[in-house]
Amino acid sequence: MILLFLVILWLVFGIMAAYSLLYRQYRDHQILGITLSGIHAQHSGIKKTVSSFTRTCYAVLLLSAGCCFLLLIPLIRNYAEFAMLLLIIMNLLANWLVIGYYQKKLRHIKEENNWTYSRDNTITVDLNVAREKGKSSISSVWVWLFLLLSFVPAAVLLFHSETQQIYPIGLSLIGPFCQLFSVFLYYRIRNQRSRILNGETEDNLLLTRQEERINSISATLSALVMLVFWFLFNLSMVHAQNGLLIIAPMIFLIVALLGIARWQQNKTRNLEETLLDGQPGEEKIQERQSTWKWGCYYDPNDPRVFVPKRIAGMGWTVNIGRPAGKLFYFGILLLVFFILGFVAYGGMKDYQIIVQEHEMRIDAAMYDMTVERDQVASLSVTDQLPNGTRTNGYGGANKSFGHFSLNGYGKCMLYVYNNVDQYIVVQLKEKDPGYVIINGKTIEETEALYQEISRWLSE
Amino acid sequence: MVLKIDMAGDIPIYQQIRNQIVFGIATGRLKVGDHLPTVRQLAGEIGVNPMTVSKAYSLLKEEGMIVMDRRHGAQVNRLRVRENALNADFDQRAVLFISEARMKGVSEEELKTRILHLIGSIYGQEVFS
Repeated sequence: MILLFLVILWLVFGIMAAYSLLYRQYRDHQILGITLSGIHAQHSGIKKTVSSFTRTCYAVLLLSAGCCFLLLIPLIRNYAEFAMLLLIIMNLLANWLVIGYYQKKLRHIKEENNWTYSRDNTITVDLNVAREKGKSSISSVWVWLFLLLSFVPAAVLLFHSETQQIYPIGLSLIGPFCQLFSVFLYYRIRNQRSRILNGETEDNLLLTRQEERINSISATLSALVMLVFWFLFNLSMVHAQNGLLIIAPMIFLIVALLGIARWQQNKTRNLEETLLDGQPGEEKIQERQSTWKWGCYYDPNDPRVFVPKRIAGMGWTVNIGRPAGKLFYFGILLLVFFILGFVAYGGMKDYQIIVQEHEMRIDAAMYDMTVERDQVASLSVTDQLPNGTRTNGYGGANKSFGHFSLNGYGKCMLYVYNNVDQYIVVQLKEKDPGYVIINGKTIEETEALYQEISRWLSE
Repeated sequence: MVLKIDMAGDIPIYQQIRNQIVFGIATGRLKVGDHLPTVRQLAGEIGVNPMTVSKAYSLLKEEGMIVMDRRHGAQVNRLRVRENALNADFDQRAVLFISEARMKGVSEEELKTRILHLIGSIYGQEVFS
């Protein structure tokens, strides 16, 4: 389990590093969100700062990856989930501070060299370009087809009721939901505002057509990657017994999405360079006000609630400058804090098993249950649990509790400490759940608990 | 033809769209029969509500500058000579401009030269194609 946690942490840190590194690329007259003209972007001071930023990003990645080994220390291992969340938050904070620091450095270089760009709040639209909008993109048929195909695992599950024991059908609908999001992404990327190079309609049209092609290809490819990930994930859920194999589709998804984002950035930059090549003098660019506040998009004047992330193709974020955006953002934040709170509470709270007159009460975070004496069919002890899946419960480094489906047992309620290889199996007369499996914090505690339950049953 | 919309200006956005399209037609940058983007396309490009663009198009349609067609969208209309084009409303607006210039200390000669230059820049363009 700890190994799985380490892989997840490295994966998260890798994504954060890749995201930061993509942000440093010069695109749409910006580096790290700071407006710079093409000539100014080539300045030695800017280049040095970008190189230094790259090195710092790698240092943060290595440091964060190294800190993961702290999870192997027994004292920290007992609170592995909490430590994992703490490490992720620290990594996010470190990346955020690094970006903020280098943005300040870039602004300082701009001030030193007195590089100023016009600040008017004018939007330029070429009517001929606007009319051609959407005509050069890849057909939307593909993303709709991928959405349709994402229902295949759910359809297969409908005809295999046995597989539903380990893989609930509700879970198989998460894929189509994500796929629907990629359809939304396709339309938003396709319809994003065209950029105007100059007063020449031909140039503007060429840029828009090419950019629309690149953007729609990357959106379609992202949808395809999402579908392939979904199929791989389903296969690993049903067939893979090793938890580490479930990580493989996630690695595929992240690497492929980052690859597409990089391809899109390079193609767009090459296109800009080709079209701007040979144009005399400095291109006319506008200083854009920073619309990012506390790492979130904030622009009360922007009517959009959902806006593209700083790196196009990486998805969408919420405009917290709008009331609906605020509501959505704080709703998500509340949900995240609720999940974090639950993980921390579940990881720290011990089970309390109280045997009373005619009932056994199990007190665990959110998964309390009571077993009546006449519900119990038999009582036994085992030193090994078969493989299975969690259907609705908590599966941490040290504890597993809630609803599980175990091979050979079927639906069970588990309240176990994972590092204690002795389990009390209480078989019930019902089928859902058919078993309640419990143990104590040590083998001695488990044995004492077994004796207590035996006495209670024989009364 | 390129539209430049000042999002922070005092002039409403629909008015800016209408004014610039009128200017485009008058200077020949938009020819008779030219198709304009659909309301949704233009609203998406500017980043405003489609109702704003729709309002600008409605004004242009009322003034006879464009025609709206279900199949072909908005198209620049053939220019029609109106008998009452130089009416009291026109006089009122022209008088206001002239008054504003005088209040800013512009001399009569300066104003005449300037206006003739502007008339030349607009009437000098080929409008019909």
